[in-house]
Amino acid sequence: MTTAAPAAVLRSWRMPDVPGAAYLVVILVGVFATANADFLSARNLGNVALQAAALTILSLGMTLVILTEGIDLSLGAVLGLCGVVAAILLVSYGASLPAAMAAAMLVGVTAGMCNGVLVAYAGMPPFIVTLGMYGMAQSLAMVLTSGNSVTGLPPAVRWFNEGSWIGTPVPILAVLAVFGATWLLLHRTRFGRYIFAIGGNRHALELAGVRVRVWLVAVYAYAALLAALASLIMTARMNAAHPTIAIGLEFDAIAAVILGGTSFEKGRGGIGGTLLGAIAIAVLRNGLNLIGLSTEWQVAVVGLVIVTAVALDALRGRV
Amino acid sequence: MIASVQRLPADVLFVVFTRTAFVAALVALLALATPHFLTVDNIVIVLRQAALQFLIAAGLTLVVITGGIDLSVGAVLGLAACVAATFIANGAVGLGIAAALAVGLACGVVNGALVAYVGIPSFIATYGMLWVAHGLGYVFMNGEVIHGFPAGFRFVGAGFVAGMPVPVLVAAGLIVALHVVLHLTRFGRALYAIGGNAVAARLTGMPTRRHLVTVYALSGMLAAVAGLVVIARVNAADSGTGEELLLTAIAAVCLGGTSLFGGAGGIAGTAIGSLILALVVNGMNMLGIATLWQAFAMGAIVILAVLADVSFHRRRT
Amino acid sequence: MKTAALVLSVVAVLSFSLPDPASAQGRPKIVVFTKNVTNPFWKAVRVGADKAGKELGADIEHAAPTKPDNIEEQTRLVEDWIVRKPAAMVFVPVDFKALVPSIQKVNQAGIPVVVFSNRMSDVDFVTYVGSDDETIGYEITKYLIKSIGGKGKIVHIDGVPAAITAQNRKKGLERALKEYPQVELLASQPGNYRRLPATQVFENLMQRFPVIDGVVCANDDMAVGVAEALAAAGRGAKTKVVGIDAIPDGVAAIVSGKMQASADYSGHDQGYLATAAAIRHLRGEKLPKDIALPVVIVEQANAKPWTVPVEEKPVPDWSKVLQSQGGRS
Repeated sequence: MTTAAPAAVLRSWRMPDVPGAAYLVVILVGVFATANADFLSARNLGNVALQAAALTILSLGMTLVILTEGIDLSLGAVLGLCGVVAAILLVSYGASLPAAMAAAMLVGVTAGMCNGVLVAYAGMPPFIVTLGMYGMAQSLAMVLTSGNSVTGLPPAVRWFNEGSWIGTPVPILAVLAVFGATWLLLHRTRFGRYIFAIGGNRHALELAGVRVRVWLVAVYAYAALLAALASLIMTARMNAAHPTIAIGLEFDAIAAVILGGTSFEKGRGGIGGTLLGAIAIAVLRNGLNLIGLSTEWQVAVVGLVIVTAVALDALRGRV
Repeated sequence: MIASVQRLPADVLFVVFTRTAFVAALVALLALATPHFLTVDNIVIVLRQAALQFLIAAGLTLVVITGGIDLSVGAVLGLAACVAATFIANGAVGLGIAAALAVGLACGVVNGALVAYVGIPSFIATYGMLWVAHGLGYVFMNGEVIHGFPAGFRFVGAGFVAGMPVPVLVAAGLIVALHVVLHLTRFGRALYAIGGNAVAARLTGMPTRRHLVTVYALSGMLAAVAGLVVIARVNAADSGTGEELLLTAIAAVCLGGTSLFGGAGGIAGTAIGSLILALVVNGMNMLGIATLWQAFAMGAIVILAVLADVSFHRRRT
Repeated sequence: MKTAALVLSVVAVLSFSLPDPASAQGRPKIVVFTKNVTNPFWKAVRVGADKAGKELGADIEHAAPTKPDNIEEQTRLVEDWIVRKPAAMVFVPVDFKALVPSIQKVNQAGIPVVVFSNRMSDVDFVTYVGSDDETIGYEITKYLIKSIGGKGKIVHIDGVPAAITAQNRKKGLERALKEYPQVELLASQPGNYRRLPATQVFENLMQRFPVIDGVVCANDDMAVGVAEALAAAGRGAKTKVVGIDAIPDGVAAIVSGKMQASADYSGHDQGYLATAAAIRHLRGEKLPKDIALPVVIVEQANAKPWTVPVEEKPVPDWSKVLQSQGGRS
């Protein structure tokens, strides 16, 4: 059995060359809007947007890593670590909010740079490096908090989730800002061109005299920096920092990136697709809750939808 | 081409040497630190825990050799275990074992087909299968626990033969069997070829797609076997069985050096990796080090081990 | 064109096969939150809740995270349920601090909340239903200590360290230990409320401590594993094991003598009472702020009623339970 026949059928439908995530979002919205009158309510759509914020930010960083043919399994654990460091500084050491935020970002960038150095200079596989970092970051976060949530945060923290500016909730603004910054980085800077080139043809870039290793470290540092930003939003949402708050989120981020059309291996893809992928996952989970599908079946359906969507993309020759 | 083949054995030797040295060092350190470590009872316990770990990581090793990953091993283990438990608790042990293997086979075949024929990256395919298997497990168990298996079955997980726990013997047998498959059969060598360069392998006429389906099927079935041993050990099955075992399985495979340089390390590497992880956990419990540090220790050890492998490899290049 | 046809047909097929969200006229819809779908304790809660719904005339729906005990997911579940406008919410937080903002949103939406099993502060709730974990920890530890003669060496296998249940049960254990200075706590290590990790942790501890007179486990899932490990090592006769929850295989182990006792932490009763409280509140009945379940230690002598499967267990008598609260409103 080959992929030729079904692929040909799908291509014959002359579907525009758009990532599967786009179709997924449309189909899911259609299904859920029909099944539940509240799905399209302002309140629910607002919820979905906020629920998707942290995942989207994480996924944007993950896109860059995957574009370089890498992967980062530690982003969820690093998010948790950044969150608890900031929270502990705020609560136990009376640090100011900007200082705590800076500390969180420092922790993130450090973790990311460790990942990057081991990948770029030691030549270790990203999967293994970030798996090890995941273990270490999670442990550190758990030890710092004895596994507990850190509460008693100053009320100003909640602005990162509850606040709004020019009529838009802060998390949405954050997503837009990060998306904008990442877009500019990818498409308007040398860094961005190098990212695509590292994924596509690293050797040629090295021969051209580019210090590929430095830029590779920067990619992992950037992804971890975004994880630190996402940690602020999540801490604000729970009004508490928890060490394992985002464990497993990196897998959803990877799924969002692949659904969005970025390839593990060819240095091809982009953040527009990732945004759609993250929205698709958030819409899927929200919709399944709204239609009241039992938890047990939700678990299976999520897996089925992800695989089906990627399979259709693969058959169309887009993976 | 010839040069890279010549390079291979040295990498394997390095892995085996360094890991064995590390095990020896750990054992020496722990023996000095506490008198309770180097007792027959404790060593037997460590071996059994390592064996359980290895059973899950064994199939995963084969998949990693082909350049893929199987994230569903923990979930398939749980689903197979739960299905088997319903039969076994009612006395139908043979039927239960067959059911478990069937579940493992089915999940594995689906994984393999998705990877080989549809062309989905193994990460996503097996991640989806992880969710599907978990979900089916939840639906199947409906929040219940199945407990109380016949003594004959429990022997597989909790019994002893000549002072050795049965899981250790099962693991030993598996090490030998898989080693033979990998190095003395065409199928085994094909796996290495696929891992090295899948396109080239296919161009030589190798039925790579069939082989991939087979290897994922094997991974699923071995996960099912591990599931049987686990539930025989704890005498109970619920939908959470196996959930926490995935990451340590991956760590064991990475520690064993398999994920690099054409699968150097192989089954023996994974076995030693499993032993190292079991020693670390046992040692930390013995020394009273908080459990919260275990993940840190494992992460650091994996990184250090692979760093050593990579440095050695580069120095020889 | 074909794409549009595909999308429409998928939508049509799925919308016809989806569950009908309309609830019958007059029957309030109540959502009952549990921490996961793996632990049989929460299954018992759901069974009890369903019984209350059936008896008192309400539609019960359940909400649990797909990733067990996941904070972010439970937060999303609460938010999504606010949109569905249930008549009331019966809730247990996976983290009693991190879920506060979400329940505050529920309060703002005007949906009454009954909290059970894990206390929460800084939120409005109609009533709290639960067993007091600290008292349970205290009583079961005291039982163990008495059964080993008031002196000796014991080991504590803790639950998930961050869980409020584990923390309070441990506080109870420490209070009991203070009363018996001749009892030594050799070690306290987490088994994370799961059987296999607890078994392996305890196995390692057995090597470290050749003499262990008793083991207090934060739940039965772990206690049964510990009891099995002892039996396999031939140390069952010399070490007494107690647990908490009185789940079916814990009770089976007590009946067979492998375990000594378990403190009843009846998920079934909590589920029933919390849901009944929510329904009665909707009817306008006044409720005490706190409905505490008594601590019952299940041992071999009185184990019989607990061997009944949870579906067949009799529901608690509402008026009796309220009477026993006496002057605590």
